[in-house]
Amino acid sequence: MDLTTLGLSDLAGLLQRRELSAPELTRTCLDKIQQEDGRYRSFLTVCEERAVNRAAAAQRRLDRGEGGPLTGLPLAVKDNICIKDLPATCGSKMLENYRPSYTATAVKRLEKAGMVVLGKTNMDEFAMGSTSMTSYKGGPKNPLDPDRVAGGSSGGSAAAVAAGFVPAALGSDTGGSVRQPAAFCGLAGLRPTYGAVSRFGLIAFASSMDQIGPMARRAADCGLLFAAMAGEDPLDAATKGPASRGRSGAAPAAAGELPGDCLSFLQGKVIGIPVEFFAELPSEIGALLEKTAAVFCRMGCRLQKASLPGYPYAVAAYYLLSSAEAASNLARFDGVRYGLRVQGESYAELAGRTRREGFGDEVKRRILLGNYALSSGYYERYYKKAQAVRREIRREFDRLFAGCDFLLTPTVPALPGKIGASKSPAEMYAADLCALPASLAGLPALTVTAGFAKEGLPIGLSLTGRPFQEAALVAAGAAYETYTDGGRRL
Amino acid sequence: MSAYRMTVGLEIHAELATDTKIFCGCPNRFGGQANTRVCPVCLGMPGALPVLNRRAVELAVKAGLAFSCRVSAVSRFDRKHYFYPDLPKAYQITQFFHPLCRDGFLELHGRRIGIERIHLEEDAGKLLHDPQTGRTYIDYNRCGVPLIEMVTRPDIHSPEEARDFVAAAARRLRYAGVCDGRMEQGSLRCDVNLSVGLPGEPLGVRTEMKNLSSLRAVSRAVEAEYRRQIAALESGGRIVQETRRFDETDGVTYSLRAKQDAHDYRYFPEPDLPSIRLEPAEIAGLAAKLPEPPEDRVRRYLAWGIGPAEAELLCEDKALSDFYDCTIALYPAYKAAASLILTELRRCFKETGEGAEKMRLTPAGLAGLVALQETGRVSKNGAREVLRYMYAYGGDPEETARREGYLLADGRDETRRAVEETLEAYPQAVEQYRGGKGKALGFLMGQTLRRLGRSANPVRVRELLTAALENEDG
Repeated sequence: MDLTTLGLSDLAGLLQRRELSAPELTRTCLDKIQQEDGRYRSFLTVCEERAVNRAAAAQRRLDRGEGGPLTGLPLAVKDNICIKDLPATCGSKMLENYRPSYTATAVKRLEKAGMVVLGKTNMDEFAMGSTSMTSYKGGPKNPLDPDRVAGGSSGGSAAAVAAGFVPAALGSDTGGSVRQPAAFCGLAGLRPTYGAVSRFGLIAFASSMDQIGPMARRAADCGLLFAAMAGEDPLDAATKGPASRGRSGAAPAAAGELPGDCLSFLQGKVIGIPVEFFAELPSEIGALLEKTAAVFCRMGCRLQKASLPGYPYAVAAYYLLSSAEAASNLARFDGVRYGLRVQGESYAELAGRTRREGFGDEVKRRILLGNYALSSGYYERYYKKAQAVRREIRREFDRLFAGCDFLLTPTVPALPGKIGASKSPAEMYAADLCALPASLAGLPALTVTAGFAKEGLPIGLSLTGRPFQEAALVAAGAAYETYTDGGRRL
Repeated sequence: MSAYRMTVGLEIHAELATDTKIFCGCPNRFGGQANTRVCPVCLGMPGALPVLNRRAVELAVKAGLAFSCRVSAVSRFDRKHYFYPDLPKAYQITQFFHPLCRDGFLELHGRRIGIERIHLEEDAGKLLHDPQTGRTYIDYNRCGVPLIEMVTRPDIHSPEEARDFVAAAARRLRYAGVCDGRMEQGSLRCDVNLSVGLPGEPLGVRTEMKNLSSLRAVSRAVEAEYRRQIAALESGGRIVQETRRFDETDGVTYSLRAKQDAHDYRYFPEPDLPSIRLEPAEIAGLAAKLPEPPEDRVRRYLAWGIGPAEAELLCEDKALSDFYDCTIALYPAYKAAASLILTELRRCFKETGEGAEKMRLTPAGLAGLVALQETGRVSKNGAREVLRYMYAYGGDPEETARREGYLLADGRDETRRAVEETLEAYPQAVEQYRGGKGKALGFLMGQTLRRLGRSANPVRVRELLTAALENEDG
C-alpha cells in the first residue's frame, strides 16, 4: 500500500482502524520529503520536530477515540500563511528572517481538527505570478514533468501534493493561484467564496480578492478541508455579514457519501458554458472540454450556452486592482519593524534601500503599476474604471446564475510551460484570464482534472458557483472524478 | 489696522473615549510604557487585519449629532498612504470618499460656523528623539487610537473666534461623552488653514499650520500667520500654498514643506473593512442619548439668575454641571447651591486633584446642606465647613453639622437658657442697658454667644435678648 497516493478519507480510515498510526504516517511523509524534495523544491521550510510532536498528540487523541476525520493527517501550508514561530517568507528575501507571533485562523482550525503541518511551501514572491519561479529561493518543479513549472503562485503546495509528500495542502488564491497550479499538477483545488474562509494570518497580496483554499488529490478532500476552515472569524471582518448567511444547504457533505449522493444531486442541474472562455482556447484543451461537457450531460445535467461579455476586460481590471492593493499592502515593508533591513542615514534611505534589495522584479513591477494606478490624476482613469469593470462582471454573473447552477470553464487556457521558457509579463498575465472573473466577483470555483493532453499532462476544468455554494461545487467535481476515474475515462 | 481680512478654517482631531482601539482589542489609554499597548493588528504586522470597534462609530455619530450634522446611512473607510516610521502599515485607515457625517454647524457668538464633515480614522504612533544620542525611538502605543477629524468651513475671521470655536467644540465633545478634550495630553489637536484677502476680492492663497496643542497656541498662531501674510503681501511678495509650523517659543510660523512637495496620498477604498451601515433607528437612539448642549445650559443658568461668569464656570465641566442640576432638582436654591459649588467644592477639587465624577458628596447631601443654610440652621460660613466634611467623609448634612457643632441652636430653649444665664451673671450690664446705655446690649450679646459656641445663631440671640430686657422692664 502506497500511503503517499491515498486521499484524506482513505488515510483517515487507516488511522481509525489502527492499521496505521499518525506518527508513522508523518514519518513516512517526512522521509519522502527529505529524500525527494531536493528534486522539486516544493518546501521552503520543513518543521520536522513540531510535526513529530503534533503527530504524537494526534495519536493520543485517536487512542482516546476523540479523533475526527482530519486527525493525524499531514498538511503542507503555503509560505504566505502565518504559523506562530515558523518562517513566513512569502518567497521573498524581504521576509527571510520573519517569524510571526500568530497563527492564521485557517491553520488554527485545521490543527484543532488534528491535522499535522509538515512545513511551509514554495511560492511566487508575495504570491505574484503564475509559475512560482519568482520565489527568491528558486521555483518548484512539476512532479508530473520536472522540466515544467508547477504553476503558481501556490506551486510549492501543488508540487508537494503531486509528489506524494502530503495528501493535502493550503494555497492562497487571488487571481487563480490555487486553481492554476492544482490544474497543472493534476489535483483538485478550491477557491472559496470571498469571506468564506478567514484571511487572518494570510499575508495580504490583494485584500479584496485573497482567499485561502485547499489543494488535494480529489475534490472531496478539498471539501473536507474547506468545511473545517470555513466560517465566521472575529479577526476578519470579511467573514461576517453575508458570509454568515446563506451557507450552501442542498449538497451532500463532501466526504463519505460519494458517489451515489453526488450523482443524484447533479440530476437536472443546469451547467452554463460561457462562450467567451472558449473563444481562443488551444484546440487540444477545447476539444477535451467539449468531452467534459458531454460527461456532465451523461451524468444528468443540462447544458446551456451562456455569456460573460465583460470577460475581455478582466485581465486589465484584475491587474490594476490587484496591483493597487498590493502596492498598498506591501508599503509596510520598510525595514523598521521586522524583516530585512538595509541600513541608511535617514528613514527614506533605509526604507528605500531595504525595498530595493528586499523585493524582486515582479513585485517591484506590480508596486509601480499599482502606485501609478492610484496616483492623483490617474485614479479616475485606471483604478475607478477597473472598479467599474469589476462591478459589471459581478452583475453579469448575477444574471448568469439566474439561469444556471454552475459555470463550466477551462481552468487554464494552456498546459504547464517549460521551466525557463521566456514570456513577457503581459503574456503571463493574459494566461490567468480564465481564473480572473471568479476572483473579481468573489465567487467560489473548483478545479478538478478534466482529462489529459497527449503528453500526459493534466488539463483542468473549473466549476464556478453562486456565493457559498462550495459544497455543491465539491459534489459536482467529485461526481465527475468518480464518473471519469479522475479524467482517465471520458 | 490693515484692510486685509483673514479667513480661517479649522481641522480638529479628537481622540474618542473608547475602552479599546478602533481596529483591535488593545486598551485605549493615554501614556503607558512605550510599546506595551500594541498587538499584531495595530502594529500592522503582515497577515493581521483590522476589525472595526462599533463603539467608535457610535461616538463619532454622537459627535456628528452634537454638531447637527447629517449622518450617512452608509459610509466607508479608505487608505491614505505615506511613508513615516510612526505609521506601521505605511497607510492610515481614514474616511476620505464617504465620511460618516457632513454639513453641521456650531453657533458661536450668535453666528453659525459651518462644519463640512466629521469622519473616523486611526491615530499614528509617536517618534521620540533623544537629543543626546541623536537617536530616534518609536512608541506605537497611540497607533490605532480612534480619532474623529472635524473640518470646518472657512467661516472664521479672527484669532479669538478660532480659539473660542476650538474651546466650544471641545466642550460639546466632552458633553456628548465623545472625547475628554484634553489639548495638553494631545487628545484634542487642531490644524489651522488661513488666508488673507481684501474685502470684495476672492480668497487669497492659504497656508496650513499643523498640530496646535493649546487654545493659546491657536489664537497666537492665527495672529502670527495673519501678520506674516500681510507683511509678505505689502512688501510685494506673494503667499505660497504650504504647510507651516507654529513655534510656541518665539511666536512665529516656519515653512515645513511647499505644495509641490506635498504627499500624493493615493487614497483608495479600504478592502479589509466592510462599509459602515447605520439604521435610522440606531441614529435616533444615539441622538436620544445626547445631553443638553452646554450653551443651552449656560442660558438656563442665566435665567436662574446666575451671573455669566459663574454660569460658564459651572458648565465647563459636565459632571459638575450635572451635579448642580441634580442638587437644584432636589432643592431649588439656585444661587446658594452655585455659590457653594463654585467656591468650596471647587477648592476641594483643587486640593485633592479630584473631580465631580467620583466624589462622596451627593446631590442629595448638598441639597440638604443648602436647605439647612437657607432655613438659617447653619450659617453661610458653617455650610462651607460642613461641605468640606461631607466632601471628605460623605454623610448626612444635619448629622455632620450637629457632630461638628455647626448646627445653629434653633431650639429657643437653649438660646433662652443662655440669655437668662447671661442676664443673671451680669446684673450690672442689665442695669446699664435699662438705664439707657444701649452699648451694654453689645456686651450681653457677646457673652451669650460665647456660652452658645459654634451653634450660636446671632439673629435669634439678639431677638431673645432684647425681648428679655424689654420684658423685665415691662
